[in-house]
Amino acid sequence: MATRAESPSVTEVVRQSLSKRRFDFRSAAFEASLLLMLLASLAILVILLTDVVRSGAGVLTERGGDFIQGSLSSLAERAGVWQGIVGSFLMMAFVVLVAFPVGIGAAVYLEEYAPDNRIARLIDVNVRNLAGVPSVVYGLLGLFLFVEVLEPLTGGRSIISGGLTLSLLVLPLVIITSAEALRAVPDSIREAGYGVGATRWEVVRSHVLPSAAQGILTGTILSLSRALGETAPLLLVGAVTGFLSTGSQTLAEQLQGEYVSLPTIIYAWAKEPDTDFRALTFAAIIVLLAVILLANLAAIILRNRYERKW
Amino acid sequence: MFRVRDTAGFRALLAAMTLALVAVACGGADATNDGSGGSGGAALTGKIVASGSSTVEPITSLAAELFAEENPDVSLSVDGPGTGDGFELFCQGKTDISDASRAIEPEEQQACKDGGIEYIELKVAIDGLSVLTSKNNNEISCLDFKDLYALIGPESEGFNSWSDANSLAEEIGAAHAPYPDVPLEITAPGEESGTYDSFGELVLEDIAYEDRKIEEDAPVIRADYTASADDNVIIQGLSGDETSLGWVGYAFYQENTDKVRAIPIAEEGDNCIEPTNETIAAGEYPISRDLYFYVNSKKAESNDSLQAFVDFYLAELQTLVQETGYVEAPEDVISETTQVWEDRETGTRDG
Repeated sequence: MATRAESPSVTEVVRQSLSKRRFDFRSAAFEASLLLMLLASLAILVILLTDVVRSGAGVLTERGGDFIQGSLSSLAERAGVWQGIVGSFLMMAFVVLVAFPVGIGAAVYLEEYAPDNRIARLIDVNVRNLAGVPSVVYGLLGLFLFVEVLEPLTGGRSIISGGLTLSLLVLPLVIITSAEALRAVPDSIREAGYGVGATRWEVVRSHVLPSAAQGILTGTILSLSRALGETAPLLLVGAVTGFLSTGSQTLAEQLQGEYVSLPTIIYAWAKEPDTDFRALTFAAIIVLLAVILLANLAAIILRNRYERKW
Repeated sequence: MFRVRDTAGFRALLAAMTLALVAVACGGADATNDGSGGSGGAALTGKIVASGSSTVEPITSLAAELFAEENPDVSLSVDGPGTGDGFELFCQGKTDISDASRAIEPEEQQACKDGGIEYIELKVAIDGLSVLTSKNNNEISCLDFKDLYALIGPESEGFNSWSDANSLAEEIGAAHAPYPDVPLEITAPGEESGTYDSFGELVLEDIAYEDRKIEEDAPVIRADYTASADDNVIIQGLSGDETSLGWVGYAFYQENTDKVRAIPIAEEGDNCIEPTNETIAAGEYPISRDLYFYVNSKKAESNDSLQAFVDFYLAELQTLVQETGYVEAPEDVISETTQVWEDRETGTRDG
């Protein structure tokens, strides 16, 4: 070994003396298989994306703004996704206004106030299980609760029902991610707060929450992306697939009326007999991916802004 | 360590995010209203909700779209969850118009009666169920209903090759047995689909219940085939296998003539007829069904925009049906439909 021109690195020397071999085949094989798995999952993603872009880019370059601003139509050359973008954003507003405060509030209570007893642990386990419940089940819940029981308030099959259903769907996710972010705040920060005579409310408000903001924001915005992509529950609570025109309705009336969302547009177009809709379906997928990517980008920017310092 | 600025910033950011979302959403909602101004003083307003058959949905959607151009202040929505689901909503008074790929059934009539809903039945177009195979299949050139029963009926369960059906076909007197000894791969709509129901009713029910004495209400279509709710998936399945067999609505066949071939069909014997616009319109093609929409008659009385919409729909019927790939009903049927609407005749003639 000493005869070799460049001297081997320390890790190399340690590894060789541990394995008693010049070349450690087993760890090389392990590393190669891990790399293979990574490449396989990347390849699937790349194939999917190229397929989508190749099939849908034509529509976007040819029709561009016209496609983005167009409404639902049974004629492929006129159909567009604008109503879906609007519907999806309106429902996201509900998620932001309903699921985020409720979810973060529940997480703060669970982490900062609730005594660490069996009941708290039971609640914690159940919230985690709820996060794994298939989304269509939330759709059924929304159908019963918002469409049937609360019809006078929600207007039945409406944006409000859809938004509230999506809020329920992501609520467990918001609670879990927020609770985890709060748990990651070191106790020394809380103790320091109490040490200078701050009340629990003051400690939570001006120390714990700001420290956890980064994690909470990341979690909430990722749950927003999840809600953006959901199709199944919305089909149950009244997303329309054929045509929608809001006429002279006010915003309040529109919120209580039928709606479309980006994922349900994709679902509806994929089932159209007209083969021209095939390309539109892919173009709508590109738009949805772009919207979700933007949401994730916002998450990254916010996270960097609230970088933890302790 | 933590400056006040951070908490304030955090709060401001959250508020800004919320505001931005709401603003985008509201801006969007306003934009959809664009073009609503400028119409005449007596512009129609109001709301029309249509649901029901996904087969009829494209026709009604197009009607709504063209109507909305002329009447931008009317709010319209068209959905297509299926004929049965549509009637359920319709009979609860939740929709104004219910599209249907079959006439209203007795239970649905009862449900509407219980809900206090009276309706006007309007026949708008004809759909021919196309029996399909792969483009490359040259073995089969004609089938009659008994052939289809031998291949797809409830007694054909387990047949994996066309020739497996030979003895059954001979027993019931199917015209085109024996069949070649090639794999039989069936891809067709699933039970939830109106197209599944129609095929059973139009082709197999009489043979099953009357000739073969199958227990009444038992399924008349074999259970062991590849079912899909998505017609495009069915087309793909059919084109992927050389000796495939299946059926879809005529519009889906027409869009895919490069991938699949329609097998000419006879009700009995050798008088096989290919599904084309002409043969379906003339009633010569044996597996065709009527497409309808039902209008809530009380709502039509009180809602001017609904009346105007139905008037528009019937006036433009020819264009709508052609544009969406369906077959126009013959003239006497259309004039009958128009008459039913003008008289506001409630109830069902066909159900």
